[in-house]
Amino acid sequence: MAMLKFKINRFNPDDERRGHYAQEYELDVPKGYTVLDCLNDIKWKQDGTLSFRRSCRSGICGSCAMTINGVNNLACETQALALKSAVITIEPLRGYPVVKDLVVSLDPIVRGLMAVKPYMINKTPPPTDQERLQSPEDRERLEGLYECILCGSCTSACPSFWADKEYIGPHAFLKAYRFVADSRDEDARAHLEALDDKHGLWRCHTIFNCVEACPKDLNPTRAIAELKKELVKGKMG
Amino acid sequence: MNYRETMTSGGALLWFFQRITGVYLAAILLIHVINLHVLIGGEVTFAAIAERVATPMWKTLNISFLIIALFHGLYGMWVVFEDYIHKGWMRVLVYSVIAAIAVVFTIFGTLTMITFQHGG
Repeated sequence: MAMLKFKINRFNPDDERRGHYAQEYELDVPKGYTVLDCLNDIKWKQDGTLSFRRSCRSGICGSCAMTINGVNNLACETQALALKSAVITIEPLRGYPVVKDLVVSLDPIVRGLMAVKPYMINKTPPPTDQERLQSPEDRERLEGLYECILCGSCTSACPSFWADKEYIGPHAFLKAYRFVADSRDEDARAHLEALDDKHGLWRCHTIFNCVEACPKDLNPTRAIAELKKELVKGKMG
Repeated sequence: MNYRETMTSGGALLWFFQRITGVYLAAILLIHVINLHVLIGGEVTFAAIAERVATPMWKTLNISFLIIALFHGLYGMWVVFEDYIHKGWMRVLVYSVIAAIAVVFTIFGTLTMITFQHGG
């Protein structure tokens, strides 16, 4: 157990005059408590008006992504005591419009995602009573690509996104490459065509913030490098 | 917005060309350094450099270095500006300034190289 101070960024759309402000809470944090457990405790016992998203509590849904002590992470996967900090600062993910307190609008994420057609395109009917098969080697290529939970941490950490709110974003690039690299997908061009754009791939300057921010330890920068190669190869015929 | 509207931005080939020119510039720089400090040796004087620069091969090499360095550097600058400048008229202005710098430096640099003579 340790008494920790939580400095939480708050914003109420019904009280816009007050704007964004920090509110402090104190909590006796038991061993094993995640930051999400702490937020739940604060909401349930101290301040019911505090808003944040959460769902699975298991690092699968990506709902509770937020900026904890300046680093984007999932609240449900961050042990509060492991932060080794007497004051834990919690902010909404940076770069997105804040809806309320720690809840941000993920519209930019969805817009970028839809641009790359984030689904398998295969017009050939699947074999009867069977999945579309692929070799173990082809399946291996998807490692590190399919695990993205679309929490938005990477794009929130990307300076190119800060500068251009219409930037497609590393989350969408990773998803695009997940399908471009899939041996079962028949139309790589459909995923690639939105990328050769002034808000697309060429705005990435290989800063690696997305890699550092990903709570799933994925590497969007590598996927972006592969996509750049694919686009150049496509242009060269 | 419609992501398809600017699909033919041509960024792919420019990005690739930027990589190629980067390698070329590094190679030319290395050739210059090796030539000046290893192959020639001795004291680095104006006369020694001027004699080399006046030869047709070095003139060609230096003009290619000038043009490619200007392209590489100014296109790099344009990409940085493009990140932050979203207003149409501002983009046209910045692009025009960069293009003007490119033209002026290319003309003066090339003229200097072509007309350079040593020892009459």
